[in-house]
Amino acid sequence: MKKNERKLVPPGLSYIADNIRDSDNILGLPVEARAKWAEGLVFSSDRSTSFFAGCGYQYSSMLEPLVTLVRTADRMSINPDLPVVLAGIPKKMGIDVAGIYTKVLSRDEGNDSGVLRDAVRVLKHLGVEMAYLGRDEPCCGAPLYHTGLQREFAVNADKAFKRFRSLGVKKIIGIVPSCTYALRSLFTRTVPGYDIEVSHFIEEVAGKIKPGQFRYPGNIKVAYHDPCQLGRYMGLIDQPRQVLRAIENVEPVEPEWTSGEWSTCCGGGGGFEVVFPDMSQTLAEGRVKELLDTGADILVTQCPGCLMQLKSGLKALKKDKVEVVDLATLLARSMNTK
Amino acid sequence: MSISKDYRKELKDAAGSGRIRLALSRAIKSYRVNTDNALKKFPHTLKMAEDVKLIKEASIPHMAELARKAGHSIEENKGKAYIAKTAGDALKIIGEIVGKNRLVVKAKSMTAEEIQLREHLEEAGNEVYETDLGEFIIQKLGQRPMHILSPAIHVPREDVARLFSQITGQKLEPDIDTLVATARELLREKFFKADVGISSANVVSADTGTLFLIENEGNIRLATGAPPVHIALVGMEKLVPTLEDAFKVSEVTWRYANYTVPSYVSMISGPSKTGDIEKVTTYGVHGPKEFHVIFLDDGRTNLAKDPVLRQALYCLRCGGCLYECPVFGLTAGYFGDKYFAGIGAVWAAEVTRNMEKATSMAYTCLTCGRCKVRCPMKIDVPEMILALRKAIAEP
Repeated sequence: MKKNERKLVPPGLSYIADNIRDSDNILGLPVEARAKWAEGLVFSSDRSTSFFAGCGYQYSSMLEPLVTLVRTADRMSINPDLPVVLAGIPKKMGIDVAGIYTKVLSRDEGNDSGVLRDAVRVLKHLGVEMAYLGRDEPCCGAPLYHTGLQREFAVNADKAFKRFRSLGVKKIIGIVPSCTYALRSLFTRTVPGYDIEVSHFIEEVAGKIKPGQFRYPGNIKVAYHDPCQLGRYMGLIDQPRQVLRAIENVEPVEPEWTSGEWSTCCGGGGGFEVVFPDMSQTLAEGRVKELLDTGADILVTQCPGCLMQLKSGLKALKKDKVEVVDLATLLARSMNTK
Repeated sequence: MSISKDYRKELKDAAGSGRIRLALSRAIKSYRVNTDNALKKFPHTLKMAEDVKLIKEASIPHMAELARKAGHSIEENKGKAYIAKTAGDALKIIGEIVGKNRLVVKAKSMTAEEIQLREHLEEAGNEVYETDLGEFIIQKLGQRPMHILSPAIHVPREDVARLFSQITGQKLEPDIDTLVATARELLREKFFKADVGISSANVVSADTGTLFLIENEGNIRLATGAPPVHIALVGMEKLVPTLEDAFKVSEVTWRYANYTVPSYVSMISGPSKTGDIEKVTTYGVHGPKEFHVIFLDDGRTNLAKDPVLRQALYCLRCGGCLYECPVFGLTAGYFGDKYFAGIGAVWAAEVTRNMEKATSMAYTCLTCGRCKVRCPMKIDVPEMILALRKAIAEP
């Protein structure tokens, strides 16, 4: 479908859809930007089991400034639609969009792509052998489906499945919740003959973790935030808690009414942050308050979107002492001090 | 334009004010505590909700047939039954029964709100009083309801005191007991002077033609009992085959509306009658002489044909989902059309057919799915929203 035919789709979501179609990733980044996170890591050459990195963690260093940008526009009551903001506002505000692109290409430290490295190290530590498709990894296209562009999603899914098959992939280990849900449930519904087994990082870890393998350097209280698609959509609620309990020195704590299947959305669900940027920020702050009421030292989650939202909420609430980390990172930190 | 400008502004203002958030956060907390306690005290409710889901799944495809059957039962009970194909038909039928220059007392009804019945009757020259306290406040403020069960959930007591002071011409303190007593005083004589009482129903059994009305205030008992004419406007999705089914639907509805048991449940099957003098049946003793029931279709039988969106018709209107919706917690009914939040988008698209609102609402839903966890019918709102977005994005 051409852009101008999608009159009723919010422009921010349409922008992402175009990028998936034209560049095979949500931000329209050139192919050189991809797979940089994995430089120096050694993977198996047997692709039958492959790690699926997805877009979210890889490009978060770029997503964050973009979301900040649309939020600022929304708060100033300027049309917050992403493409409009990208076209007009940055110059006026002295923000250099091209610079953000360059930054994501050059940076490999201090952003959430480190979560992917942590996840790979943790899986290896537990004896999981897997390949990584690198620049050949297709986009799962999940945002197309959630935008309502389900025919475009089906076309993309078909293409992705053919690529998986041509590369000999039989099993995928996913890490981004929405990619994993798409590859597991939505592909099964839309791609005829789809037969790839899909598991999530946390299922692999929960299935293999043994007492004494992980010890956090220092005693901490951890509040776990369930990402919607991981918890309610895929039912992976007990596994992360089982894993947290298996890490020595970690005391898991839960908010009173809002944990597990009752977890409150971080405010980034369904593309909400690009459609209602300012309200999305308010929701993030609300969720952070619920999690902080537990007295936690660290907030832990497992989704690039949730990570971004919770960080943003903490920042606004000026809770500098509390950290948000991905469960993969928490595990990786606990591995070092063995 | 995908999200209408006015809607975006309304939402932004609502979310930015903080007052709604404060009022809602208190309501959410007490809803969760009360429902938790009610379900602990009556744990059979969970299994009963599963039974009710089966009842609804079996009833919805046969709504039209059930409406005819219920109509026969009501006529046998000496009431009058009507099937309104459209909102316009329903307004015409009710308008003709009421006439003009009449005093009308109304119980709260989302279905009446859906077809804007009060406005229609007022335009025809009738004086209409909302008798549910929240709805009365909303009517006097000239606003629209912000929650299906607690329409004035966003209005703090200070605002109510100011409003009631204006109406009575006395300076009233923002004391809740005083305010409630004032409403009682203002409405008391209206019930007995009214020519017509209008209500809806929570559920209707087709075999006996019985309307179940669940309430706590007592205004429904008065509005349906005191005036000589009772008119009930009922969405066709409220029909179930038997009296036994209707009892189950009622209990599950009030329990998920956070009550162990409500103060009142009225069961109404026909006009008031007596045979106490020579066994001659005579109508209109202490209750209404006339009993009219209008079953409203207006897109419902069509909606029932959609394999995904038909779930919207299983809704019991307990309001539980609204307390679990993070966006609703910031904006209350501004995330809404006639009905609210994610499920409200389906009603906007299929029943009131306000596509601009439906589109805006479809992209306001987080698709986080917590409403589904709360819902006694396990209505899959994210699945419906994605189906709706597909219809919008790929027509």
